[in-house]
Amino acid sequence: MRSALSSTFALFQKDLQSELRTRYALNALLMFVVTSVATILFALRSDQPSPSTLSGMYWVVVFFTAMSSLSRIFVSEEERGTTMTLQLVASPSVVYFGKLIFNAVLTISLTVAVTLLYTIVFSEYFIIKSSSIFFATVLLGSLGFAAAATIIAAIVAKANTRGTLYPVLSFPILIVLLMTVMNATTKALEGAPFSDALEDFQILAGYILVMTGGSFLLFDFVWKD
Amino acid sequence: MTYVKYGSIILITLVIVAGIGIPMSLEPAGFFEFPLIPGLEDKARNIFFHVPTAWTSVLAFLVGTFFGIRYLRTKNIEDDYKSVSAAGLGLLFCILATVTGALWARFNWGTFWNWDPRQTSIFILLLIYGAYFALRSAIESDEKRASLSAVYSIIAGLTVPFFVFVMPRMMAGLHPGARDDPSGKGPLMQSGMIAGNMRVFFYLSLLGFTLLFIWLLNLRIRAARLEHEHSRQQH
Amino acid sequence: MEEFLAEHQLYIVLGIVLLIWGGIVLYLLRLDKKLAELEKLIKKG
Repeated sequence: MRSALSSTFALFQKDLQSELRTRYALNALLMFVVTSVATILFALRSDQPSPSTLSGMYWVVVFFTAMSSLSRIFVSEEERGTTMTLQLVASPSVVYFGKLIFNAVLTISLTVAVTLLYTIVFSEYFIIKSSSIFFATVLLGSLGFAAAATIIAAIVAKANTRGTLYPVLSFPILIVLLMTVMNATTKALEGAPFSDALEDFQILAGYILVMTGGSFLLFDFVWKD
Repeated sequence: MTYVKYGSIILITLVIVAGIGIPMSLEPAGFFEFPLIPGLEDKARNIFFHVPTAWTSVLAFLVGTFFGIRYLRTKNIEDDYKSVSAAGLGLLFCILATVTGALWARFNWGTFWNWDPRQTSIFILLLIYGAYFALRSAIESDEKRASLSAVYSIIAGLTVPFFVFVMPRMMAGLHPGARDDPSGKGPLMQSGMIAGNMRVFFYLSLLGFTLLFIWLLNLRIRAARLEHEHSRQQH
Repeated sequence: MEEFLAEHQLYIVLGIVLLIWGGIVLYLLRLDKKLAELEKLIKKG
């Protein structure tokens, strides 16, 4: 058990180090966030966005940015031809959880970037009135995103048209999560009491558990050739 | 299979004759008169054809996922034919349900699309089928294609229970039986309205469409099997 | 007959739907037969 935990962490560290060396995903991710937020600003001009519009656009940016970068975790292994080595040195569950942690960290940093950018450019409208709801939503939402995106990334890495296939496969799985986080984020911007969003958090927690558990059980079939 | 074949033919023919042919009146007398619901009128006859297509597309998804799970256990390519054949039929019935639903909605609710929970569900089911076939067409190896698409259909199936909780909280329901239907249970499901003769033909229609689905599935599986045998004999 | 149909137009719809359904059924039955023949053929070969 202990060795499984430490090798999961070792795998995560390996991915993190290679990411920090090249900053491939991080740079692409940041540029993607900046360009999509700029596009939204051009479209809105001097309009006053409502809380529900803003929370919708917040998660649209997160969704498409995540779709542009989260699949790399497995695609890069395929491209470098290191899949076989990884299959030999680590058990499938170690690989799955290592990649899941990396994707979760990446998604959380993505939401931090989007939140910072939104508070700067929409300083008058994007006001987090209920910070406890907001942080819980972003944290649980990121974990749910990572849970679903990781197994889909593993599937997509084995297919031919990876880039276009990834959002196509992920969207139907993520719709329920997107609906819930948009709903909760609107509540956070409107300043609802924490108990109002409790049901959303229960749904999110259930989603994370079911997705992680299901992926863990099914990962073997995707990963082994 | 003979029972399935002739059963589906007889049942659906019967439902067409009864569903379209039985006259409607405001005060139905006897078994061979349907109630006339103001505002719904003859459009109510759609229930015998629209609802079974939606039911069949959901059934096909369940059958497809079932054979997907079985493929992962047995690694028998035969189970993959069954899974993909069910999914193909599911896509067909899903499109039929969406189109017939949108047409009915246009004349009953005013617009083709309202994003009510059931319309959203069928839209998501359509997206899942689309993604499933996009995935299949992007993988060359037979075994890889079979196991990856099986995994995908299971993952997609895992999200379904959440919709049951999430959707009614997000949008207003228009379908009868929806939570915020003003009349409570909705006109069609009220015991006095659909009870009796309409209900009989409605369930017969569900049964008929289920049998038709089984027959079509059988045809598709046999065709897929022949194709496989043929390509094996050539190599 | 014509007078009756002009008054009860729903029966025209019924006729058309039955015709289409009949066509589909005939097609499916023939397809079923054809597949059975091919299955026999490929079993022999």
